Amino acid sequence: MFRHLLKLTWKRKSRNLMLSLEILLAFAIVFAVAAFGLRYLQLYRMPLGFEGADVWSVAIQPGDNGKQRFDDAVYDSFRRGLAELPEVGGVAFTNIEPYSMSTMSGDMRRKAGSREVPTELAEADDKLAAVLGLNLVEGRWFSQLDNGSAQRPVVINRRMAEAMFPGERALGQLFIEGEGAAPAQAYRVVGVVDAYRAKGELAGPVNFAFMRLEAGKNDNDARIMLLKVRAGTARDFERRLNARLKLIRNDWSFQIAPLSSSRASMIRTQTVPLIVIGIIAGFMLLMVAFGLFGALWQNTTQRIPEIGLRRAIGAGAADIYRQIVAEQFMLSSIAIVFGLALLVQLPLTGAFGESLNWPVFLGAALLSMAVIYLLSLLCAVYPGWRASRLSPTEALHYE
Amino acid sequence: MFRNYLLTAWKVFMRRKLFTAINLLCIVLTLVVLMVIASLLETAFRPSGVEGKSERFLQVFMVRMESPGGNRVSNTPLGYKLIEKYLKPMPGVERVAAVTLPSSVSVYQGPNVSELKLRRADADYWKVLDFTLLAGRLPTAADDAAGRMIAVLNASSARRLFPGAPKAALGQRIDVGGQVFEVVGVVEDAMHLNAYADIWAPISTFASSDYRKELTGMFTALVLADSAADLPRIRDEVARISRSVVHDDPKAWKTMRFWADGKLDLFSRILTNSGETPDSGAGKVLATIAVAMLLFMLLPALNLVNLNTGRILERRSEIGVRKAFGATSRQLAVQFVVENVLLCLAGGLIALAATAGVLAWLESAGLIPYLRVDLNLAVFGWGMLIATVFGLLSGVLPAWKMSRLDPVHALKGAV
Repeated sequence: MFRHLLKLTWKRKSRNLMLSLEILLAFAIVFAVAAFGLRYLQLYRMPLGFEGADVWSVAIQPGDNGKQRFDDAVYDSFRRGLAELPEVGGVAFTNIEPYSMSTMSGDMRRKAGSREVPTELAEADDKLAAVLGLNLVEGRWFSQLDNGSAQRPVVINRRMAEAMFPGERALGQLFIEGEGAAPAQAYRVVGVVDAYRAKGELAGPVNFAFMRLEAGKNDNDARIMLLKVRAGTARDFERRLNARLKLIRNDWSFQIAPLSSSRASMIRTQTVPLIVIGIIAGFMLLMVAFGLFGALWQNTTQRIPEIGLRRAIGAGAADIYRQIVAEQFMLSSIAIVFGLALLVQLPLTGAFGESLNWPVFLGAALLSMAVIYLLSLLCAVYPGWRASRLSPTEALHYE
Repeated sequence: MFRNYLLTAWKVFMRRKLFTAINLLCIVLTLVVLMVIASLLETAFRPSGVEGKSERFLQVFMVRMESPGGNRVSNTPLGYKLIEKYLKPMPGVERVAAVTLPSSVSVYQGPNVSELKLRRADADYWKVLDFTLLAGRLPTAADDAAGRMIAVLNASSARRLFPGAPKAALGQRIDVGGQVFEVVGVVEDAMHLNAYADIWAPISTFASSDYRKELTGMFTALVLADSAADLPRIRDEVARISRSVVHDDPKAWKTMRFWADGKLDLFSRILTNSGETPDSGAGKVLATIAVAMLLFMLLPALNLVNLNTGRILERRSEIGVRKAFGATSRQLAVQFVVENVLLCLAGGLIALAATAGVLAWLESAGLIPYLRVDLNLAVFGWGMLIATVFGLLSGVLPAWKMSRLDPVHALKGAV
């Protein structure tokens, strides 16, 4: 049976080649959408590392383009001024808040000449862990103990600890930024957090390091304030908050946003490409379904004499039906095998890095195989049924 | 001759209505996607609506600074000082406008907080762009000089803040991030690179006047020329000016480079990140878009090829007769390609109507705020061009196969 099918398929090879090519392309498109979606699902399930609910961010905009430097008095005036508001439970300073579009990164090395570990960085003051609910798995968060430390104290995430100190305890270790004999800066690990993905649920995990904010010693001011507010604080608190901030510094402007709203807009920007690609892919599949249906219909029409002959020498209607569906199944399988052979190069060569890892690849491959098989079987059902109903006499006389 | 082609084509299309419908549907689906993209690009880059003068203005959007060692590079928007001191005095231009990029601000009204996009613009901005004024007036140079706290709203925001006719908003006071502005004008919604915002205020309403001393900041400059022919000269002039600018801190930043670009150039420059050369990479971007569109057509074209191959075999007796009476393979191939292109053009017309529907949906769904796309003649032309390319792409292979049929076998009905 199988050999017969192969023979029949081979006899119409140029035509079948075009059909398989079409199925192959459709497979690749479904695979792309499935991989994209599954990766997002995988990321969504990974730990985020912080609690964004009931946290508001205030961007301080002095309108000086970063020239003026904040000193301890500035930070303290905000801390004291805002602590008086009953809604505010905690105030922390950083330069890059969660769900922000900006990043700061550097190439870290264990010592000069060793392998570089690309790391995202943020300045953080002593209160940030409490405000964001960071989960420390080793060591401690920054505190007064770090005053006057020779190296800059940092808290890193576990991913970075594993990248920088594989198989070792990260606590107390040193690393440097930059290369060359005289590195600009040395850092000492005082704590390790479980995870920290500042770009939100749908962003890939990165190596992350918090550097302790010490006014005057930093390259960057921490111009973002994060406020832990009382649960259920409504948006109209913003006006009173703004009025209070203006009392503290009248000539500066402040941009206030709950983290929940930055989260919503971040997720929107991240999912829009998926939605657009998904819609277009949906249209493409619809088109492929129509095309396959039409091509199969014409195929069976042309092969009526052949089918008649088979019926005449004893094949039942179910046999014919099975033949048509099995042929289509084989065609799809050939296309899918070729498609997989091509697509498997992506995780093998690491073209998409971590985003296309094996679980995602396998999931996407299974999902797209299911879709393509379903599609081609659906397209084969009606033409097959039509062919199987032909009476042998009519079919043999068909012109 | 051509009439005969048309007649045959019509007969063939009507003979198998289901397949014609499937064919058409595939063509329409493909063309709708491509036409939506084409019309969005057309609206973005052709002078239209509020940026109707964009054929004769250039803009300076980014400054690229390099450190003396060349190891650090910074790309930032312009500062007001750069525009006021270096660009505004430029000779031979109609005017130079300064406007900030849109930034999020909160507008407080009692217990309500609305988040709006604010731009601060000088009086020239209103002369460079053609906003449609619905009520009130636009800020003038006198307002700038006096530092009056006035604001212009767009129609949607005016309706949201002050329900009713646009006039209802005039004279009202709004608290924007702690600063109180008086609404003096309401303009129509506009979605364009330099027009997109909800609320506009004069530059002089900044809480502190530090912006006047900065070479980099958050401004963009619009340079309006007297005529489109002046643009190359202005480009050179701006490039010359950029070489003469010295940073306030020459130890940190040695060179400052900026370019005056048209809209397409600007977009390409940002996309290809080519800040150091006069060439914006627009050619490369256009080529990429064309290639992407062709690639997108690949699957639908293959689909159509498969459908068409089947149809040809159905017509083999017709082909046999025509060959027996002396038609050459080439004539047959041309006939088939013409038929296919005709079908695609018909599909293109339907797709154009569907595109109008999709765009209307996009406008109402608010996926892109204030989007207004008009389907003009240019979009129609692009649509037909895309349809023809698609018809050729999907018709040539079946036509070649058809022309190779052996007349004897074709007449007998055997393949």
